[in-house]
Amino acid sequence: MKPPHQALSASWRPTGLLLRSTLAVILASLLAAVVAVAYTAQATSERAHQTSQTRLNELLDTIESTLAVACFANDQTLAVEVTQGLLSNSDVLAVNITTDQAVLADGRREGANVAQTSGLLKRLIYSPFDASKQVGQILLTPDPQVIEGRIREEVWLAAVQLSWQLGMVTFAVVVMMLLFIVRPIKAMSDRLHRMDPTRGERLATPKRHARTEIGQLVADINALSDRLTDTLATERELRLQGDIDEKKYHTIFDNAESGLFLIDHRGVLMSWNPAFAQLFDIDRQPPGQTLTALNINQLPWQNPTQMDKLVQNALRQSAAVTKDLQILIPGVERSWTNVVLRSVGNNLLQGVVHDVSHLKESEANARQLAITDPLTGLANRLGLEQRLHAHVQEYAATKTGGFALLMVDMDEFRRINEGMGLPAGDSILQITTRRLSACLGSEDTLARLAADRFCIILNHITQGDVVDRVAGRITLAIRQPYFVDGSPVNLHASIGIALFPSDGFDVPSLLRQAELAMDNAKSSGGDGHVFFNPVLTEAAEQRRHLESDLRSAIRNHEFVLFYQPVIDLRTLRLSGAEALIRWRHPTRGLVPPDSFIPLAEKTGLVVEISLLMLDTACAQLQTWQNQGLDYTLSLNVSGRQIPDGLSPATLHEVVSRYGISPDKLALEITEGVMLRDIDKSLAWVNAVHALGFRVYLDDFGTGYSSLSYLKMFPVDTLKVDKSFVKDMKDDGNEFTLVGAIIAMGRSLGLDIVAEGVELESHLLALQRMGCHYAQGYYFSPPVPAQEFEAVAARVTTLLALPAP
Amino acid sequence: MKVLLSTLFLVLSGLGSTARAEPVVVVSAASSLRQLSQDEVVNIFLGRYRRLPNGDTALPIDQPESSPVRADFYRRLVNKDLNEINAYWSRLIFSGRTSPPLQASSAADVMVWLLGQPGGVAYVDRTQVDKRLRIVMEFAR
Repeated sequence: MKPPHQALSASWRPTGLLLRSTLAVILASLLAAVVAVAYTAQATSERAHQTSQTRLNELLDTIESTLAVACFANDQTLAVEVTQGLLSNSDVLAVNITTDQAVLADGRREGANVAQTSGLLKRLIYSPFDASKQVGQILLTPDPQVIEGRIREEVWLAAVQLSWQLGMVTFAVVVMMLLFIVRPIKAMSDRLHRMDPTRGERLATPKRHARTEIGQLVADINALSDRLTDTLATERELRLQGDIDEKKYHTIFDNAESGLFLIDHRGVLMSWNPAFAQLFDIDRQPPGQTLTALNINQLPWQNPTQMDKLVQNALRQSAAVTKDLQILIPGVERSWTNVVLRSVGNNLLQGVVHDVSHLKESEANARQLAITDPLTGLANRLGLEQRLHAHVQEYAATKTGGFALLMVDMDEFRRINEGMGLPAGDSILQITTRRLSACLGSEDTLARLAADRFCIILNHITQGDVVDRVAGRITLAIRQPYFVDGSPVNLHASIGIALFPSDGFDVPSLLRQAELAMDNAKSSGGDGHVFFNPVLTEAAEQRRHLESDLRSAIRNHEFVLFYQPVIDLRTLRLSGAEALIRWRHPTRGLVPPDSFIPLAEKTGLVVEISLLMLDTACAQLQTWQNQGLDYTLSLNVSGRQIPDGLSPATLHEVVSRYGISPDKLALEITEGVMLRDIDKSLAWVNAVHALGFRVYLDDFGTGYSSLSYLKMFPVDTLKVDKSFVKDMKDDGNEFTLVGAIIAMGRSLGLDIVAEGVELESHLLALQRMGCHYAQGYYFSPPVPAQEFEAVAARVTTLLALPAP
Repeated sequence: MKVLLSTLFLVLSGLGSTARAEPVVVVSAASSLRQLSQDEVVNIFLGRYRRLPNGDTALPIDQPESSPVRADFYRRLVNKDLNEINAYWSRLIFSGRTSPPLQASSAADVMVWLLGQPGGVAYVDRTQVDKRLRIVMEFAR
């Protein structure tokens, strides 16, 4: 603490509150004193003059009667006496008494100013005996010095009194200021000098100031300190956090694998990270004073103008812009980068650069893969279509050119894959590829569409004869034997040809036309080529029409079963029937199976149709069973139904549903169907047979007629093809052949059904040869279910006739 | 009422006139002075002037102190009683500039001095006026 006198002297600083307020109080007091004294002087002067007048008047009153006598009697002596008396009064300077005749007395104080005229007091003197009669007058000159002296005295007194009072007030004000304001403020100021608010130090409220403005000030300062320290603490925390963040970001920046950089609107690089430096092989340090500014354009872009455009785009919009840009660095063959630029305000752009060379390579590979066939290295369907589109567009642009599209499909290639295995097939395809390539020119395109299907574009070739020659060369080339594991394999191909622009204008129709032509070539035996012909399109159209007809036929239950009686030749009785499908077409009438079954097989509709027919057949068997007729019914099964289209489980379920014994239902399969996929067929036949169904081998004699298969498959019955039976003549070949089949079947323990019995001679011959069953027009054509009863009756009647 | 009041007034004045003397200012019949105003009488008797209008020096003469006409005279002249008149004179006498009227010791003395002095002026009761005397001023009734 400072000694009090020091504190006090500090309070009297020239700029101090105390000195200023004291001076102000003194000045105000002086002003007030001057005004007060002036007023007092004025008032006192008036009052003094008044008092003087009053006194003189009173004086005159006392001498008036004497003076009246003196004036009345013109008594100078008396008048002089009165004058002397008046002059003895200090207020009176001079006295002059006159009557209308003479001056009675004229006395004045010694040394008085003769010229004194102001403040003269005049009184008229009347006769003592007649109040209305003036007998003289007296003029009294008051002494101004006396009055002034009195005024001075009074003013002096007032001044002294005022000085005292003002002095006291000033003193009191100063003391109050000192005690109540200056000292507490000084104390607060001293305390504030040494105070450290961050350590929680606060101002103490001065004594007895808890409720004063000083106390309020202290509270306010303390509150302010609180807020400031709070803000400081927050600030410090934020700064700390900021430091940490900055370190963190710096680490990320430095260690990022992507190139990060900052450029201004002209493209000048402001800063970059090590990854960026490494990518572009530039200095690691951002440009300092020593380094010249580096523009992003100066980096080894393959096309710097693209970079410029990217910068301009980024500056124009707030969203990030990105582009893949190629860079050229010596020693690196090609390198792709992906650049992302984003405006960060202040005309600055922040950028990220990735090395995307690997991505680009993979992308190119993938793109190549997508249009390439891995086995042969040829273009695949996509590649072919791209090429075709390119040619079509080229033609559209130049109106010159044109090309021929050849679709080459190996005939019966499936046989190779199934019989010799996929590797053999693949090898053959590769050889085929080489042979085909050898037939083509450098402008031509060879592609592999599917397993054994190739496509060839003969560019700029539209003349039919030229194409014809090339197709012939190809046919010849494929006809050359292939050697698989040393064994020669002979193959041929079907070729469909479509010409652009004469056949079709767009890629899909060209491909379809070539395919149609190829199908046509194939269906006419293969090993040749066919040019597209609009008729082919028509046929395809018809087929499509038929297909939709088939679908609606299924919906409308237009398929029906016809039944052809089968006769037991041993008993000459009706043993049952073969169920044959017919299509009762609403406009075309009854359609034979040959007209729709191939397409139904191709489209898979046959599965659905045959399931319906199975249902119908079982219903018929049930009817017969209910009528007490012990007929069997045979149903044709196509290749598409084996093994899943008509699964053993389904068969079992259906017959169970109708309550029919399985041995009443026979399933007829051709050799071709059986041999198509031997393993699957065998499994199916075994399963069906095990369930109690009987299996007939249909059309026996037209195919391989392999005995080993006959032994392998659990077949119950052989059906001799009607062509053999129909042509049976006495001692003819066919006769012998049928007999041989019957004999062989019998020796294998199989029942024989002869189809196509049309003549009585057939019947007799078959009977002779020991054939078990027969069917044919001799007995009855296939008939609808409702006619079957009548037919059965007629057949029974026919058979009951004695043989001629 | 009015009749009553006037009757009363007459009675009173009648009483007065009978009880008091009626002073008049007189000079010697031989004098050339014929008339004096009341102011002139005041000036002469109270010492202001001592000159008569005819140029003679006036010689005012007072009746004896005890004479009732003297008191009446001064009462009528300046409405003062004799004490007041005496007080007045006492102030003037000291200076010596003027003097009070001649003091007669009897009515007879008044007549002697009046007739004997040329400027003599006196007041007498009207009843005392004879041929030797001339009234120069009468008080209004």
